[in-house]
Amino acid sequence: MKPKVAFFDFAGCEGDQLQIANLEEDILTLLGQVEVVSFREVMKEHSDNYDIAFIEGSCTRLQDEDRLKQIRKNAKIVVAIGSCATIGGINSLRNYKEIDDVKKAVYGENARLFDTYTARPIDAVIPVDAYVHGCPMTKEEFLSVVKSLLMGKKPEIPNYPVCVECKKNENVCAFERGQYCVGTVTRAGCNSCCVNEGTICWGCRGLIDNPNENSEKEVLMKYGLSIDDAINKFKLYFGWQERRK
Amino acid sequence: MRIITKENFTDFINALIDDDSLNVIGVKSKGEKFAFDPLNSADELRLDYDVTLLPPKKYFFPQRETLVTYNIGKSFSARESPDPNQTVIVGVHPYDIVALLHMDEIFSETKSDPYYFEKRKSSVIIGVNMQSMSKWCFAPYMGADTIEYGYDLMLTDLGNRYAIAIGSQKGEQLLDKYAKGLTNALARDIQMVGQKKREVAAMCKQKLDFSPDLIPEMLSNFYGESAFWEKHSEKCLACGSCVLVCPTCYCFDVKDNPDLTLQQGERVRTWDGCLLEDFAKIASGENFRATRPTRYRHRYFKKGKYLFDRFGFISCVGCGRCGSNCLPDIANPVSLLNDMYREAQQSGLEITAPTAPDIKIQTGTDIDYVPRLATVIKKQPMTSMETLFEIKLDDDSELGHNPGQFVEVSVFGVGEAPISISSPPTKKGSFELCVRRLGNVTTKMHALKEGDKVGIRGPFGHGFDTEQLKGKDLLFVAGGLGLAPLRSLFNYVLDNRKDYGKVTLLYGCKEPRELLFSDELVALSRRDDVEFKPTVDRCPESEIWSANVGVITTLIPQIEFNPESVYAIICGPPIMYKFVIADLKKRSVPDDHILMSLERRMKCGVGKCGHCQINHIYVCKDGPVFNYAKIKGVPEAL
Amino acid sequence: MKNQNFDINVHYVTRVEGHGNIFVNVKEGRIEKCEWAIPEAPRFFEAMVVGRNFKELHHVTSRICGICSIGHTLASLKATEAALGVKISEQDLKLRKLALHGENMQSHILHLGFLVLPDLLGVGSVIPLASSNPAEVKTVLRLHRLANEMSNLICGRTTHPQRLIPGGFSKIPSMKELKTLRKRLKDSIPDLQAVAGLIKTLAPKLPDFTRETEFIGLTSPDEYALYDGILGSTDTGTAPVNDYLTYTNEYIVPISTAKRAKHARDSFMVGALARFNLNYDKLSPLAKKTAETFNLKPVCHNPFMNNIAQLVEVVHSVEDSIKLINELEASGLKSQSIYNNPDIKPKAGRGVGAVEVPRGILYHDYTYNDKGTCTKANCVIPTNQNHANIELDMKALLPQILDKTEKEIELNLEMLVRAYDPCISCSTHYVKVYFI
Repeated sequence: MKPKVAFFDFAGCEGDQLQIANLEEDILTLLGQVEVVSFREVMKEHSDNYDIAFIEGSCTRLQDEDRLKQIRKNAKIVVAIGSCATIGGINSLRNYKEIDDVKKAVYGENARLFDTYTARPIDAVIPVDAYVHGCPMTKEEFLSVVKSLLMGKKPEIPNYPVCVECKKNENVCAFERGQYCVGTVTRAGCNSCCVNEGTICWGCRGLIDNPNENSEKEVLMKYGLSIDDAINKFKLYFGWQERRK
Repeated sequence: MRIITKENFTDFINALIDDDSLNVIGVKSKGEKFAFDPLNSADELRLDYDVTLLPPKKYFFPQRETLVTYNIGKSFSARESPDPNQTVIVGVHPYDIVALLHMDEIFSETKSDPYYFEKRKSSVIIGVNMQSMSKWCFAPYMGADTIEYGYDLMLTDLGNRYAIAIGSQKGEQLLDKYAKGLTNALARDIQMVGQKKREVAAMCKQKLDFSPDLIPEMLSNFYGESAFWEKHSEKCLACGSCVLVCPTCYCFDVKDNPDLTLQQGERVRTWDGCLLEDFAKIASGENFRATRPTRYRHRYFKKGKYLFDRFGFISCVGCGRCGSNCLPDIANPVSLLNDMYREAQQSGLEITAPTAPDIKIQTGTDIDYVPRLATVIKKQPMTSMETLFEIKLDDDSELGHNPGQFVEVSVFGVGEAPISISSPPTKKGSFELCVRRLGNVTTKMHALKEGDKVGIRGPFGHGFDTEQLKGKDLLFVAGGLGLAPLRSLFNYVLDNRKDYGKVTLLYGCKEPRELLFSDELVALSRRDDVEFKPTVDRCPESEIWSANVGVITTLIPQIEFNPESVYAIICGPPIMYKFVIADLKKRSVPDDHILMSLERRMKCGVGKCGHCQINHIYVCKDGPVFNYAKIKGVPEAL
Repeated sequence: MKNQNFDINVHYVTRVEGHGNIFVNVKEGRIEKCEWAIPEAPRFFEAMVVGRNFKELHHVTSRICGICSIGHTLASLKATEAALGVKISEQDLKLRKLALHGENMQSHILHLGFLVLPDLLGVGSVIPLASSNPAEVKTVLRLHRLANEMSNLICGRTTHPQRLIPGGFSKIPSMKELKTLRKRLKDSIPDLQAVAGLIKTLAPKLPDFTRETEFIGLTSPDEYALYDGILGSTDTGTAPVNDYLTYTNEYIVPISTAKRAKHARDSFMVGALARFNLNYDKLSPLAKKTAETFNLKPVCHNPFMNNIAQLVEVVHSVEDSIKLINELEASGLKSQSIYNNPDIKPKAGRGVGAVEVPRGILYHDYTYNDKGTCTKANCVIPTNQNHANIELDMKALLPQILDKTEKEIELNLEMLVRAYDPCISCSTHYVKVYFI
């Protein structure tokens, strides 16, 4: 009996669901292992009878919470895919802004347009069983998590920084190139893909379990970043996780 | 020694590159740094480099390597045969050559790693004497700035020509086949080479304030100086950079990757590092080196003390990669050791150089990474968490183990876990494993059915010496799951009852329903040639229990034994050992009459991957059975 | 049937990106309500980039969309570079054009193969097609993979491309890699023809519906404008990109969290059909031939033909990419550091970047202070510009199909929406709302 899977999206760019479409021929192999019963972006049919739910995007409105709770009720396993769903993603950047901008707007009969609150990851609303981090997630990690779930085992996600992968890939460290990187406190699993492409790690996979944030901020300043800019770097993706501490 | 002009050398390299049967690797620029990479033409070669990002060990012990492939539920096989091409590595500095020699010893000790050596054998090392040195490098202090052996060819830049020292027949043949215009070195060439080599040390910008001979002794004195280690490791990011770029590091992790069809898969090993947070964490969640200072300290001790004790060399070649890659700048061994030396001096500590240990490195057969196929013939749940498996090897052979040894059990597609053998070697035809459901592998094992296949590697480890124990009184002290490994010895003793003296079993669990092997325990309580005392920490209202209630140490006063002839054999949760040993010592049991079986995170089973290491000891190889006398001085053990 | 009474409420139209609702209410044969409403959560991007450094903006705005990520990144970079007075090299310009082609190919093939084809074959999704039409599905997947691998090669990856940075590229492919790509592009032409052939047999299922409207897009005297150009319209003359606000005139409607736009008429259309209508004569030879087989000629006012225009554009992108690689080979590819980081001095300024992404013309407009920090931002998304046209098309189409069953009416309205290939979550990005 193939497990039934369903895909849902909230406030996000749909980039993670696109990675599933980007599996290309592997989609066919995947369809041999699972039965897709709901995937709004790709199919008309919908069923509430599913075993595994994949959720992309952050929860940014109270009305989204009900939808999430319903999904949790229907599914045995809930998987958050992509940074917006796993850690709040780039959406959490606006949490620092919200209050100012909201003040400038006029409410009225269109108040529902402001039915919006702090952008948050899925696990702030419902319990989540597995995470596929990244902005976007990689096909490889998505498949690895799916395979683990199909084999009945808990997916093994790294709890060490991107530096591990960066060093294995023999990159020249961003700091040595006059750039500023937060890979030292960011969870690995992406194979340091952004540094491999010649840039830096922006932190899209979120903080590791026990990051030494003070040390990282000191490193950023030692290499010439002002304290405000160092703090700003952490706001890009770590907004929700930092608040939670 | 030969001489070759620079033009002829260029032609030599290009001739190597043109030969499709050779992989030619050389030092190339990478961004503003350098790295070993495949050469497309001789002009890419940068023999004037200071240090490469990664050492050449990546060609012998790659970042990622398939060990075993498998067909799920059906079979395991060795990975495919290696690249038949020979690899020529051009531009290796002496410190990296020293490091490879260290790795050779480490990878061949007791059991030999076939994957590492097949690559070593099919490669040619063309070294080059250093023309520039990174400011972090302190190789001259470690005696690694020059070297007289360990290479096939060694180049020295003499301006318009290279001197080539021949280190092996392989090197000589390479020159004969591909190089033209070689002449013999003249006396003045040889003199110049000697001069160049002596000048290398002068490039060094680091300064070690004392002789490196003192390092092992000095480290030993500082093991317990928590403030020192906390101060130095405060900024540690646990990023692993220092160990990942190190030419003498070799710890690895092993994972199973099924493919998407879930029909087959591969078992892959990847570089790991003891500085990473979860390195010493086991399935139960316990982390034996959970804090930054303990992990940070372990690296220095491994390089400067444990490997020295085992092999006779300090396993650091002074390349300086760790220091240069550490962003908070806490990894430079020179800074730390100088600070340690200064503190030692201030406190008036006398440090002497240890005599080199008398090392007898045993090399043995190849490590077998490929599991043997076995079948689950019986499955018997014992408690809500533990199930007893009876397993038979498919090739009908006996496991041939000693009591106290363990096997690595492979569950197809999920991974491998170390499980102690629970049956005695006197039980023929099959063996038993008592498995607690904790992590991925054990959970999946619990879901197996009778007739399902697993993989078995081993038996591994140092078991109990049943000969030495003959005629002695045996006091077994088992806590919880600790009964499982002890049962292999206990039942062996019962099968050979007349060979042993008084036999006592003390067994404690948290609650009555957690007792393992309850049927056997009932039978045991009826025997008159064994004293059996069980206890539980507490008994809930719903259960019936008429025996002792209290922690296991409450049983010790209840039994009689003669400290001269008794041997205590202990196994249980980590916290138990300290208290049991304390009580036994109070009863004058000598240190070397106390044996115990310890648990750590074990992966390779043969003392290579580094995960089970307790200070200088590998639990998988030197243990899991230890004599207290030998282990009491080991701080991380208990 | 003049005495019909029915409601159609499609919550979250399937097989489109983002969430959109269709509301229809017919009483006694009279259309009481026909609405295209967007309930998508607003995303606040223009607020998020204020206060961030010019080196970061493209990273943030690329997250507006996962599918037109390359397009958003390029529009963003153009705006930043315009504001800061940065010029990119001829080589980087060609590479950016290749990047955009890769995205166009990827997006259009995904749209046609996964989102539209099921309607034409009468199934709910591409999934059953994997068993019933395996060869066709494999062809689509092959083309999709080629487009993605092209984007990976030029940009690092399709979604949130790392290599695209202010001033150029952090890393560029080698000439060897480009040559391999060129061969693969050439070899893909039979696959393209197969897909075109399949769609030709199914094309009669596309409704023959027209409603005259305005078409807006980039236009250029030198090429089929995608990366560079000036503003063009089928109704009015051209204008410089900096005048974009006069070509968009965004306004709010109560039923939508997304804004709408208008220009010479009550609505206009952007996208592949708009570009086709404006720049037909600049299409590559094979693209023109493809258009011919479908009898598609400018100016076409049938929104369903946007699908065909997309197919034509895929062919054009493949041919033009081959041409660009030929040009790079002829001039020689200048190598650069594998960790390139152009040195850009911050200065105060405002810049507008306009780029044609698969769904239409996209504008990014940034203002920076002298420290290089963004003080103001505005993004106008193609799908926003289409929302009004979609609704007016629906209102015009509905009376023409009232004699069909409810299910067929619903399907036709959905197919209409799908033909636009809307990218709805991009379109709900604004934050400041003023109600008059």
